[in-house]
This record gives sequence, structure tokens and C-alpha cells, in this order.
Amino acid sequence: MNISLKNVSFSYTDSLDDAVISDLNLEIYSGECVILAGESGCGKTTISKLINGLIPHYHSGTMGGDVLLGEKNTADMTLADISRYVGSVFQNPRSQFFNIDTDSELVFGCENLGKPREEILQRVDGVIREFRLEHLMGRNIFHMSGGEKQKIACASVAATGPEIFVLDEPSANLDLKSVADLTEIVARWKKAGKTVVVVEHRIHYLREIADRICYVKDGHIAHEWTPAELEAKGPEYAASLGLRCMNLKQLGENCHPGAEGDRVYGSNQDDIKFNNLHFAYNRKFPVLDIPVLSLHRNQITAVIGHNGAGKSTLAQVMCGLCGTWSQKRKARKYGAYLIMQDVNHQLFTESVLEEVLLGMRPQNEKAALEILAGLNLEQYAYEHPMALSGGQKQRVAIGSGVSSGRDIVVFDEPTSGLDYRQMLAVSATLQKLAASGKTLLVITHDPEFILNCCSNIIRMEHGKIAEQYPLQGNQGKLIETMLNA
Amino acid sequence: MSNVRSTGKKSSNTLVRDLVNVGIFAALYIVLAFLSSSIGYIPALIVFSTGSIGLVTSIPLFLFFSKIERSIPCCLIFCGFFGTAMFIMGQGVLMFSISLLVGLLAGAILKVVGKTFAGLFSANIVMSLMSSSMMLPLWTSTEEYLEYTRTMCDAGYVAKLAELAQSPWPLVAIYAFGILGATVGGLVARRVMKKHFERIGLAK
Amino acid sequence: MKLDPRTKLFLAIVANSVILSAPVAYSALMFAVPAILLLFEKKWKFVLAFFSVYLAAAFGFEHLKTMDVGRIGTLVVSTMMIISHMMPITIVLYYVMMSTKVNEFLAAMARIHVPTKLTIPLTVMIRFFPTVFDEARAIGHAMRMRGIRLFSLRTLKNPFSILEYRLVPLLVSITKIGDELSIAAVTRGLSPETKRTCVATIGFHVQDAVVFVYCMAVVLICYVFPDLVGDLLSRLT
Repeated sequence: MNISLKNVSFSYTDSLDDAVISDLNLEIYSGECVILAGESGCGKTTISKLINGLIPHYHSGTMGGDVLLGEKNTADMTLADISRYVGSVFQNPRSQFFNIDTDSELVFGCENLGKPREEILQRVDGVIREFRLEHLMGRNIFHMSGGEKQKIACASVAATGPEIFVLDEPSANLDLKSVADLTEIVARWKKAGKTVVVVEHRIHYLREIADRICYVKDGHIAHEWTPAELEAKGPEYAASLGLRCMNLKQLGENCHPGAEGDRVYGSNQDDIKFNNLHFAYNRKFPVLDIPVLSLHRNQITAVIGHNGAGKSTLAQVMCGLCGTWSQKRKARKYGAYLIMQDVNHQLFTESVLEEVLLGMRPQNEKAALEILAGLNLEQYAYEHPMALSGGQKQRVAIGSGVSSGRDIVVFDEPTSGLDYRQMLAVSATLQKLAASGKTLLVITHDPEFILNCCSNIIRMEHGKIAEQYPLQGNQGKLIETMLNA
Repeated sequence: MSNVRSTGKKSSNTLVRDLVNVGIFAALYIVLAFLSSSIGYIPALIVFSTGSIGLVTSIPLFLFFSKIERSIPCCLIFCGFFGTAMFIMGQGVLMFSISLLVGLLAGAILKVVGKTFAGLFSANIVMSLMSSSMMLPLWTSTEEYLEYTRTMCDAGYVAKLAELAQSPWPLVAIYAFGILGATVGGLVARRVMKKHFERIGLAK
Repeated sequence: MKLDPRTKLFLAIVANSVILSAPVAYSALMFAVPAILLLFEKKWKFVLAFFSVYLAAAFGFEHLKTMDVGRIGTLVVSTMMIISHMMPITIVLYYVMMSTKVNEFLAAMARIHVPTKLTIPLTVMIRFFPTVFDEARAIGHAMRMRGIRLFSLRTLKNPFSILEYRLVPLLVSITKIGDELSIAAVTRGLSPETKRTCVATIGFHVQDAVVFVYCMAVVLICYVFPDLVGDLLSRLT
């Protein structure tokens, strides 16, 4: 089924989103796999919403032009009609499930369309076999990893048998292994002759599948390449447009675009040691079992490993958020400060300045403003923290950690879903923080980010440290292990 | 530009948004009502628990009221869920009817008065009548509590307590504290709405 | 052993009404049902934990109520009393909640002609209970790291601030999840106007009849011969 956007313009009236589409023309042909790439706020997600009918049916705004699916104009169809032809997968696996168990979720779309029971069962059986979901059936979605959730999301959308798939940053919260599963899913759809539209700035995983990459800038298509063309231009070119690397294997010894300055490698001072990092729900199978963790002072250490390797538990135990009483008590004194993946959870007050003052003992406004200046936030001091952009919120959270006087800051996936420029901004902030005397531990799945700012790598496996090595000289090895993870 | 038009006005899709909001806030409300009423597990504090419910649930209720577009059906379903939850927990048909009545009333207030502070505030107070009714069985179990205190304290004191239990006053107190909690909560909620939700675009 | 969701609803309503209003002996007859059914669901640990806490509270209350335990002791004993009264309700609800899948429940609702306008928010509500707790836990973690405690100088100065710290981030994040959830739902064809199919199979079987008859019997005895079970027990002991 062809998708054609003809002279489309759109602007929102109901949200803070200021992405505006103006006079956009785009043809996507039946059976094509097209990536809509571009920096955050460029309007690529708006384009995806034009295709799946959320615009004009859900979001209020002003629209001109027509969107045609095959011969039909989306404006003349209802959302339920459109959902027969277009299946959508979204970025956040946490918020796209309507049910608690996987079985109900898989049949949900078919049930909404009122298909007969036998047909639904047949379709779902097909999907379970196709996606190899046997081991995930009958499970509680709330107890599944991000990768598993995204797999279920794809499968439940596929169960209704749409001709077009629209994926809005599906890989943002996934580790590289789950991303590889996603690649396989998209490849299967393409082989079956479906049209796939993927909104992404992390495009390496589709390099062998995508037919076209459309680069969106300011609401229109600024460039079009085939993946091979973009890859030939090299990672520096992609980075200059705010895109992530096309081929992770190109990230090698010497190539980490944008990394400025020299990092300090190796231990030149005393290390910080954490003893007895243990945690177990069940005594026989500890989730976390690290007798000694030693971190190089004032450096950035990356923690990598599979989902479920115990990385998040490590962060929580270090920050005194889980574990035994004595572990918590010790952590309160010498512990680390955690910057959560969803920073919305840790913003409490009505202004950025108060946010920084809140954890400060004793409260000192001048010192707080200094901290904000260091994070380029001084002009927002009296703004509401929740009204800021994602990156700014993250820096506010960092500021609150700094003001609480902790020397160790732990980050839980600080760059998930960020484009290249935002990622560089985060890594610059982290480097500045390290230079100012903090010791940083970063849980991440993002190889470009590690190459950009980390000095040491810890790889975790089954709750233990599998290996720990400096990044310098080991870049190739890092990429290798992350890709094969 | 050809045929420029405004979008997103179709009723069936904003209806889904409303229904989802009812579900979310009902879940939150039930959790908060139970947690804040748990101080009633200490029998001496039973009457105060209604006040704490009113206080705690005001902020989410204000946000809920300002987010929904169809006041009467949404409030009705919202309260209906609470009533059903109570019914399943063994509180009988009375509680369920009170809930529906309260929902209807709160929805009507929002519709008539509009989503001004006065509207939200009075609808919030009406809602406290529903959450206070949740304490009715705990009130009846005060008799058992009396039975118990009889073994402990001197007779005069118990007689005084028993007199209290016979009279309608504890019942009045339950509702009065609920309304008091909702009043204070409403004032706090107005401040929070101004200070937070309006500034970050969650409410108008 | 699978019960029809409608039977479970009936069980919950009847059992909880009896537990709230009738003497302990009858309440025991009622909450024995979910306890046995939970054993069929292989929830040994829960049943064991439930009974140990329940019996401890009940016996504690029975034995201590006639003793002079002082002012604080009174508080403890009366709390025991409330626990022993309220606990049976939790086991009934736990059984109903853990053993019913959302889609079975919806199928039952559709069977008794509940309109979609009610089942949509109902599904969202059920799905949101775990979300509310997850989010609240994350916020609690953040508060602990910031040193915001329930009782501190700051919260004494402004007692409502703790409400604000707890609720504002929670409301922000769950309304955001809610917005994304409604978007995901409408793109998957959810609409209050169309008729949905329900795939889950439900229906009444022998076990439903057994539970139904047993519940009715207990209610009957309870209201016609309110002292029967008590008399029997006292004659036995």
C-alpha cells in the first residue's frame, strides 16, 4: 500500500510540542522500508502521526493538504479504520500496553476490530510462531524487560495484519541484543511485502534493510540517501547532522567523532572501593554479588552488560535504595547519588533553584547558583523544572545530586533515545562533572557515548563483574563485545 | 495552501482520552483513599481518617476535574468504580448508591459552575462525602472497640463513650472531618495547581 | 480449578458482606473458600503467611483483651482487633485479583452487557494499579536520596509540602503515561462505538455451582440461625 503525503502542513495547538510541518511532499511505495531521521524536534514524529492517523483525528492543530493511504484519504477514515491498515509501535514500552498479561495484549487489537474469534486465535497462533514468543506467553508484562515488551508490542500490532507499520523510535530503550531482535522483525515484515516506516536517529540496526533514509529538518525532507550512501560519507558526516553512526563497526580505535580533549586513563590516584555489594531475592540466585568494586577517582566508568545482568541493582545498592539495613545505612553516609532514567521522578519543587537547594545542607543560595552556572542552567533558575526539555531536566537532577554533596554519581542510561547532539551535550556535562572532582559510574547501552566520554569499562554478567578494563586501546574489543552481547 | 482545517475535534477520540483518564485517576484515587484511610486501623483515629482521605485526594481530584471534557458521565463512572470496589469489599448497596449520587452531583456542579476554582472546590467537597462513607463499617465496629475498652477503663468513661456511640455524633464527625479535610485539601490543591500543573502545561 | 469471573464476583460480594457483618465463626466459613481455592492455584506460601498473621492477631486479641496492658498496649491490642477483622477481606480480594485475567473479566462483563464505555476505563484502572505503585516506589527512592523524610524540620514547618513532594511527580508521570496509553489505544482501533470481540472462554461449570450453593448455604444459616455455629463450637470444646 502506497503512502503519499501531498502538500501537507500541520502545527499543534494543544501541546507544548512546537514541531511544525510545512508543505511536505513524501511518497512511500508499497513494500518499502523508509527511515525518517533527524534531530529531536525536527518534525519526524509528526510525520509518523500523519501516517497513522493520529493527525488529523487525535491531536488538535491546524492542517492543510492530504495524506493518502493507497487511494483513501486518512481524513475520511476513522482511526479504527486506519488501524486496519496501519500498525503503530511506540518508543516507550512502559506506556503502550493496555493489558497486564501478554495473552490479552496479543489479541487486543483484533478484538477491537471485532474480528471473529476463530480468526483471531488463528492469527495469534501464527504470530506466536513467527515471533517465537512461546516462552513469553502467559507472563505479566510488568515483569518483562524492555526488549521483551517491545517484541510483544510488535507482535500484537502484527496480529491485526496491517499493510503498513509505523515505528516511532522503537529502539530508544533497548540494549543492543534486543535491537538485533528488532532488526530481524523489520526484515521479516519487509520480506512479507509490508511497508515499514521507522522514525529513528539510531539507524545502524537497519542498514541492511532500509531502502531510503529521509533526513527531516524543520518540517521538510532535507536529504535523501540510501543507507550505503550515508555510510560512505562516514560517521563524522552523520554526526554533523545529529544522526547516530550508520555502522558500529566503523567506530574504531581512532574514530569517535566529537570527543574533545584528552581523557585521563588508568589510576593515578587512590581508587574508591565499595565492599560487599550483594543483593538477592533468593539466597541461591543472587542478583548482585560483587565483593569489591573499585572505581578510579574523578573518572567516568561505563557499566555494560545484558538486561538482567544486575546493572540497575548495582546502582540501587550503591545508592542505598535496596539491600539490607546496614547496606542502606552505610550508603546514606558514603553512598552515591543516582540520576534515574526517568528524571521526572526526581524533580520535586517549583523552581530549578529550589530544586538544587532542597538537598543542600546548609542551604546556600550563592553556592546553588554557582552549581547551576556550571550546568548552563543559570538562566532557568526560576523556571519550573518539569517545564524544561529532557536534557535540561537531566541537568537539574545532576545539579541536585551535586548540591547534596555526594562524590559519586551514578547514571542509569542517561542517553537512551537521544540524538547525536544531545548525546554530546550529556557527555560534555559528565566530563565537566568528572573534572570538577566527582567520580561517575554510567550504566549504558550506547557505544558511541562510551567512546565519547568514558575512561573505564566494567562488564557485568549474572550479577558479577565479568571484566574491568580501561577504554584506551580496547575500543575494538568494546564494540565487539557489545555487538555480540 | 489548500483546504486548511483544524483537527482533533472529533468526539469519539476525545472520548477515549476521557475514559482513559477516568481509569487512571480512579486507580490512583482508590490507592490513595486506602492508604490514607489506613490510619483508621488504630481505632482511636477512626474519625480522623476521613479527614486524611479528603486532604490527600484533593490534589489528584482537582487535576482529574480539570482534565476531563465530559463532566457528568466521567464523574459518574469514576464514582461508580469506587462504589463497585466498595460493594465488592462487602459494603452493600447503600455505599454504591451514595457513590452514584455523589458522582452525579459532582459532575453536575462541574457542568453548571464550570471549571473555576469554585466549581472544582465544591465538587471536591462533594466527593469527600463518598470517601467518608467508606468509613461507615469502621464506625459500627467502634461498638466492639467499646466492648474492649470496658474491660480496661473505669465505668464512667466507658458510659460516656457508649453514649457517644449511641448518638449520631460519631457519624456526623466522620462526615465533618471529611469535609474539613477536603476544604483544607482544596486550598492546598489550588496552590499546587497554580504552582505546578498550570506552569508545566498539565492543566489550564 | 477455574471459576467463572462472575462466580468470583459473587463470592467476593457475599464473602465480604458476611465477614463484615456476621460473627467470626461465619466469617471463617466464608474465607475458607478462597483459602482452599488459593491452594489449587499453588499459592501455599501466601495461605500460610495469611493464616499465621491472622491467627496471631485473633488469638492475641482474644487472650489480651481481658488483661491490663497499659495505654500503649491498648493501642496494640485494638490494632490486633482491627487486623483480625480486616484480614479475611484481603484474602478474598487477593484470590479474585490473582486468579482472574483481565480479558476473562472483560468477557464476563460483555456477557452481562456492560457497555464498552465502562469496560475501557475499567481495563485502564486495573492496568494502572501496578503502575501507580511502580511510579510511587521510584519517587520514594528519589526522595530518600534527597533526604526528604516524613518527619523533619522542613515538613514540620510546612506539613503540606510532603503531600506536594509525593503527589506532584506522581501525577505528572502517570498523566504522561496515560496520554501515551490513550494514543497507543486509539491507533490499535479501540473505540467506544465499535463492538469488540472477546476471545477468552468463560462459562459455568460444576465448581461454580458448588461455590454458589455453599455461599448461599452459609448466608442462609447465618441469617436464619445466627447462633448455630457458635453453639456447636462451644459444645465441642
